[in-house]
Amino acid sequence: MSYNFYDFQNAIQQRNDYVDDQLRDGSPVVGISCPDGIVLFTLRGSQRKLFEVYDRIAYGAMGRQSDVESIRIAAIDSAHREGFQRSEDDVCLSRLVGFGISPAVKQVYNDQRAVPLTIRALFAELHDSPADDLFCTLNYDGEYRISKGSAVITGVRSADEVAKDILKSAAPSTLDEAIQLAAKVWAHAYNTMRHARKPGGDVDDNGVRLTPAAAFEGALEKGQILEAALLTRSTSKTSRFECCTPETVSAAVADLDLG
Amino acid sequence: MDVSLFHPQSGDFAGLTGFTLTDAHQSVTSHTNGLASEPVHGTTVIAVKFKDGVLTVGDRRATGGNAIMYDKAEKVLALDDTMLMAISGAFSKAIEFVRFLRHSFKYYERSQLQSLSLDGKLNEIGRMMAGNLGGAMSGGLVIPVIAVYDQKQAAGRIFFYDAAGARFENLEYAAAGSGSVQIRGAFEYIVRTKGNFSEMTLETALAEALHLLEIAADLDSATGGAGKVLPLARTVTAAGVTEISDDAIRVALGASTTTATSI
Repeated sequence: MSYNFYDFQNAIQQRNDYVDDQLRDGSPVVGISCPDGIVLFTLRGSQRKLFEVYDRIAYGAMGRQSDVESIRIAAIDSAHREGFQRSEDDVCLSRLVGFGISPAVKQVYNDQRAVPLTIRALFAELHDSPADDLFCTLNYDGEYRISKGSAVITGVRSADEVAKDILKSAAPSTLDEAIQLAAKVWAHAYNTMRHARKPGGDVDDNGVRLTPAAAFEGALEKGQILEAALLTRSTSKTSRFECCTPETVSAAVADLDLG
Repeated sequence: MDVSLFHPQSGDFAGLTGFTLTDAHQSVTSHTNGLASEPVHGTTVIAVKFKDGVLTVGDRRATGGNAIMYDKAEKVLALDDTMLMAISGAFSKAIEFVRFLRHSFKYYERSQLQSLSLDGKLNEIGRMMAGNLGGAMSGGLVIPVIAVYDQKQAAGRIFFYDAAGARFENLEYAAAGSGSVQIRGAFEYIVRTKGNFSEMTLETALAEALHLLEIAADLDSATGGAGKVLPLARTVTAAGVTEISDDAIRVALGASTTTATSI
């Protein structure tokens, strides 16, 4: 049997379709810098989605939980090995993702006999000033993008664009403002993902109106849990990563304006 | 990378890094740097309970044989937010211990999404001590004093280890290092005449501990007094690890040196 160029393209397209289909229903993850530190925000089901990787590095992801865990452990292993064998100061996000995680993910993606990783990941690296904070988004095919100020991962490209538009000119000055902004971005991105599944419609399959506010409230009513974490710039503890309490997150989004 | 992508570790940091204690002292003892006749050693450290937790103080001197090598050594080090390790003995080994344990505890917490239990941490330290037995026999002996705040018991606790890794818990105080022998009886004198350390305020316990450290410095040439560089003092309480300010140490030293020594 012979193969031609189109078989190759088809094979890749099928792999992309397979993963994209599953990510389309996921919950976006938003990362935003503010003077207090870096806030990561999402809504989740039963499993945690936001994690500490190293002293100044945090991670959040959407996708299949086993794949989320594989990448998390790989990042933690890699960072700790480097930090111990060299120095804590030598662990950096660009090397961790660029030379460690991304090539490994790409290798899995390229293996036609393996199921590709169903994941889209967001890494954040805290610096002394918000202007220097780094974010990195990693796709299931190993592609990654580094940005400053904020980053978001969603299930469809159009939702990425909507989220980036909202984040473009935003500069939250407090932790509460950062959580509110992240929640707003989440709601708009998630609503755009629902639109993508129901183009031209007014309601989704569950009868929930296709507006950001309805998307947000609908997710909470369906049992999704608010989750936020902070990489704090100032602490006396040995860890800069802290999970925000449900009370803190709920209070911050209580009067959310999703207009 | 990375084989571990699909073969994740289960919180075992030594397994992840392939870490084993280096056996450097056998060669170090025969290759001096011209100044020190032996590897650099930290000297006297003291841990005493007080009513909110444990106070740990250490002088700042590190010696190599008869030579004073360093006068700003940090010998009271936080392993995490609930545990202090005060180190005496071979300085290089002790720093290696601390560095490994800090990473090991953090690695476990981050990878397993829960803190290692107090007993798990103490066992890990014991394993490290046992692993260093060969090094200890050839000049690399480290005796750590562990000060910890036990959240379950809501109380400070003090532990020490022998060279083979056996763990012991002390009720009120512990001391290690070359000057500790000279002041051992003084601890008992304080407990019998002034009451338990665990019932003292931080200010009282600090004055007593610094007093003891000054006595050690007077009686042991390897222990540095407070005259040149102030001792280091840290507490561990329910709120975490806190460093005592130089000003507070000066005040406490003033209180502890009101009676002149006759020696």
